[in-house]
Amino acid sequence: MTFDIKHAAQLSRGELLLRTFFGWLYIFIPHGVVLAFVGLWGAILGFISFWIILFTGRYPQSFFEFQVGLIRWQTRLNTRVYNMEDGYPAFGINAKDDSVNIDIPYPEKLSRGMLLVKLFFGLFYVIIPHGIVLFFLAIGFTVAWFIGWWIILFTGKLPVGLHEFMTGYLRWGTRVRIYLMNMTDTYPPFSLS
Amino acid sequence: MEYAPLPQPEEIPEREKEDAMGAYLMMFAAVAVGLPLPVINLIAAIIYYFINRKKSRFVHFHSLQSLLSQIPTTLINWALVIWAAAIFFREDWKLTPEFWGYAIFAGACTLLYFIVSIIAAYKARQGKMYYFLLFGKIAYESAFKIHPPGVGDASPVNRPPF
Repeated sequence: MTFDIKHAAQLSRGELLLRTFFGWLYIFIPHGVVLAFVGLWGAILGFISFWIILFTGRYPQSFFEFQVGLIRWQTRLNTRVYNMEDGYPAFGINAKDDSVNIDIPYPEKLSRGMLLVKLFFGLFYVIIPHGIVLFFLAIGFTVAWFIGWWIILFTGKLPVGLHEFMTGYLRWGTRVRIYLMNMTDTYPPFSLS
Repeated sequence: MEYAPLPQPEEIPEREKEDAMGAYLMMFAAVAVGLPLPVINLIAAIIYYFINRKKSRFVHFHSLQSLLSQIPTTLINWALVIWAAAIFFREDWKLTPEFWGYAIFAGACTLLYFIVSIIAAYKARQGKMYYFLLFGKIAYESAFKIHPPGVGDASPVNRPPF
């Protein structure tokens, strides 16, 4: 899986303040409302995909591409929420964004046994171990987000180290998510990279 | 009236077979969102049809047949939900033998719809056509009928307001 967010050489302080005080109005509400419905559709397709994988061993390609598009869209929005990128995130499953590069290879075959293992034991071997690590990382992420905000305000740049850490956290979460969504059989590594 | 030739199973790409199969599985949408309202399945089938109808005639046919077959099932189940709600909320409405009769009828219709849809999903996955009573003909007509040139293919033209 490829998950990269391009490090912006320069970020606008004006946009940072605009996003901070009015972002909820012109970015988060419009995107949130649409994403709520699109996400609901994604949940329906995910549920149906589970049964299709169980019987055929394949994730329907159209459904898979929809889920990847949804992840890209949410990540596009996240980069603005976390001040990693300027500009207005594009609406749409198929929209492009130069700053976000996410590629999840389509699996020709998925293990049905693994599907059931995830269903019955996913809590123990995925959600709990990754959840604990991600919980602590989320605390670090929030601190990085807060510090990053001030650094951008004064310098107009998000330090590479902070950017890499924040990208790594989002990457980690996405890897766990696609594993639990049955989009891959590869167990997510405990790694930011 | 002219119709496009039917694609044979070996000519249909795997992806189209999966998309056609997915149409019938929209009957599980209500379960997926956790809302036991029959209309959810119909909404899901409508969305699925409009997303996929341009992909190919094969997918168009199956997604429309799935959508059309949802309509009577939804109406029958919706009537049951309203009747049950009236009994629950209104004191002058009681559980009657007629209600139970209708509930069994609705359950039987849903079960029949479920079985037929599973068969259709299986056939679609194999790249086969499978025609429901009545709806099969309507869906075939809509998906495979060749329209004369100039009908429905005019590009939209933007015009100024005055």
